[in-house]
Amino acid sequence: MPGTFSRRKFLKETAFGLIVLSAARFIPLDRAAAALKNLPDQLKFFSPMEFLIMENVAGRIVGTPAPGMASVEDVGVALRADAFLAGAEPEIQNQLHELLAVFNGALFAFLFEFQFSSFVNMSPEDQDAYLNGWMTSSLAFRRTAFQALKRLSLTLFYTDPRAWEEIRYDGMFLPWEREKKQ
Amino acid sequence: MAMILQGKDVTTPVRENADVCIIGSGCGGGAAAKVLAEAGRRVVVLEEGGYYTASDFDMTEETAYRNLYRERGGQATDDLAVTVLQGRCVGGSSTVNWTTSLRTPEFVLDRWEHVFDVKGLSPKELEPYFERIEKYLNIHLEPEEHHNPNNRIILTGAQKLGYRARAIGRNTRDCQEAGACGLGCPFDAKLSVNVTYIPDAVKAGAVVCADFKAENIEVIGNTKRVYGTVIDRATNARKTDFVVEAPVVILSAGAIHTPALLFRSGLANSSGEVGNHLTLHLTSAVLGMFEGVVYPAGGIPQSAMCDEFLNTNNDGGGFWIEAVPAYPVLASLALPGFGDSHKALMRGYKHIGASIVLVKEIDSEGSVGLNEYGRPVISYNIGEKDLDCMKRGLKTAARIHFAAGAKKVLTLHAEKNEFTSSGELDEGFARARWGRNELSLYSAHPLGTCRMAEHPLRSVVNSHCETHDIGGLFVIDGSVMPTSLGVNPQLTILAVAEKSAEWIAENFPRPQ
Repeated sequence: MPGTFSRRKFLKETAFGLIVLSAARFIPLDRAAAALKNLPDQLKFFSPMEFLIMENVAGRIVGTPAPGMASVEDVGVALRADAFLAGAEPEIQNQLHELLAVFNGALFAFLFEFQFSSFVNMSPEDQDAYLNGWMTSSLAFRRTAFQALKRLSLTLFYTDPRAWEEIRYDGMFLPWEREKKQ
Repeated sequence: MAMILQGKDVTTPVRENADVCIIGSGCGGGAAAKVLAEAGRRVVVLEEGGYYTASDFDMTEETAYRNLYRERGGQATDDLAVTVLQGRCVGGSSTVNWTTSLRTPEFVLDRWEHVFDVKGLSPKELEPYFERIEKYLNIHLEPEEHHNPNNRIILTGAQKLGYRARAIGRNTRDCQEAGACGLGCPFDAKLSVNVTYIPDAVKAGAVVCADFKAENIEVIGNTKRVYGTVIDRATNARKTDFVVEAPVVILSAGAIHTPALLFRSGLANSSGEVGNHLTLHLTSAVLGMFEGVVYPAGGIPQSAMCDEFLNTNNDGGGFWIEAVPAYPVLASLALPGFGDSHKALMRGYKHIGASIVLVKEIDSEGSVGLNEYGRPVISYNIGEKDLDCMKRGLKTAARIHFAAGAKKVLTLHAEKNEFTSSGELDEGFARARWGRNELSLYSAHPLGTCRMAEHPLRSVVNSHCETHDIGGLFVIDGSVMPTSLGVNPQLTILAVAEKSAEWIAENFPRPQ
């Protein structure tokens, strides 16, 4: 295993990280502007932009549902994430705010993946490539960040019974119900 | 008055006196509470998590993670490389474990005696405790026909390859085989601490306070005061305060939160060893794709194991293979990649067989510290030998799956690492990346952060679990284990807890 190299060390202890972090918060967003108008107004944790990032991330991570099956929008993954994170410890909340800002930042996308827009402004194909870059990065903090987003998205999707039909999970059952359900 | 007090019933600050105050209600705290209450001590148990009963357990991951697990199942090392699962409720991790009940391997106890000079925990001295607990918790082997398809993979595959595999002892009675052990048993068939030791402790006079979070401990002469907050379970916010005063305080908050409490209190750390020597019983898994239905969440979750490879080199290390109930969230997090390829794997959910590989560490280094908010931070570096052991374990588990009929086997790499035959394993493992967050890793058995040994400069507690620094201050939980066990720890913790509690009862007579 490589030595310790957390995202916080990278972001907080390098001047470069601080510049990236600062710049990432102020990148203008064009294609996202329309989507921002239709967001729920009762958010407890996310800013509208963060909500949009989370919704996009969750959609790409969970994948495209088969016709008639539940999507991340149906399940309300981003809204559930908002409620979940509103009750999280302050250090986790701070890290999530920082992570989403960096992850979505156009400057960061350019520096690490040579993409020329923020995450929410990318095409779905570019978003997948961008996520893949974080998942497989040689920088440990980027892989860590990807895992955080993956856990959040998948946990909040697959805990909802509406997500189970597509994977043919019938919930827990007793032995005498097994034949019927399987 | 014997009772279970819950945060919802408390509106004003609580002030209590007791002979013994126990912080935590899992295997360590629950067993100590029963022994000491039955010995006539006035016992107060403080549990940060909630008190739930069978009717609260709806067999869903959402409810279980929210109510029963630390950080809703998201507790992890500081780099998120290892998810560390622990219970946070009355009964602690025993409420959500998969019932595996195994005695401490003799080579581990021998090492404790000869390397750490631990007294009184030899195999012979623990034998009567194991026998008593096994009877009390009805620990038994399941008959052949009760193994579910996921456990049969291990038994069938190992047998074909000539590896030793056998049934595991389980602490159940009238098990309904619903598969919900990890989500809280809705039938009270799992004889976990919340339905055995805790009710018996209460019957003997103990007061159990749920939603009571201990923040720090103050030592005033021979007396200790435990300060904390009563939590509103719905919002996790502070409701009011409490103070419990007692001559004997036992920390049983587990290997992550017990050292954190000692750090916050500034106690018992003259050796500088509090928080050190964390072992995780490092765990990863293989997923086999089978033609037939496995339904990895149904039936008895964990009833068989392959124990061929523990301590084979006499180096105290090695690995162990067990089945794992892959509930949908667990399965989704374990499967590699993301997006449509991930979704395609999830569509084959019913055909997934899952086996975990647990490594008994010998050269990894872990520790628990505090962050700026006073909460624990878990650090962990995997040693080269342990990583090699994990690779050997995963290859072995993959071979077992192929021998049992798997068409494909995947490891838990972030990037898909998929095999269609055993012959591909060596090359695939050489090609795979093994850095942080490139392979999903888990732990359900954190141990060792308040190490037990007789030498006060090398350890935090002595062989009776009493801190070297402060008389009457004890640690009784997985923290005290001098080394990784190599097996699931609940039976070891229960035995050490009962033995230490008996010593306390003998040596701290009830004040007249």
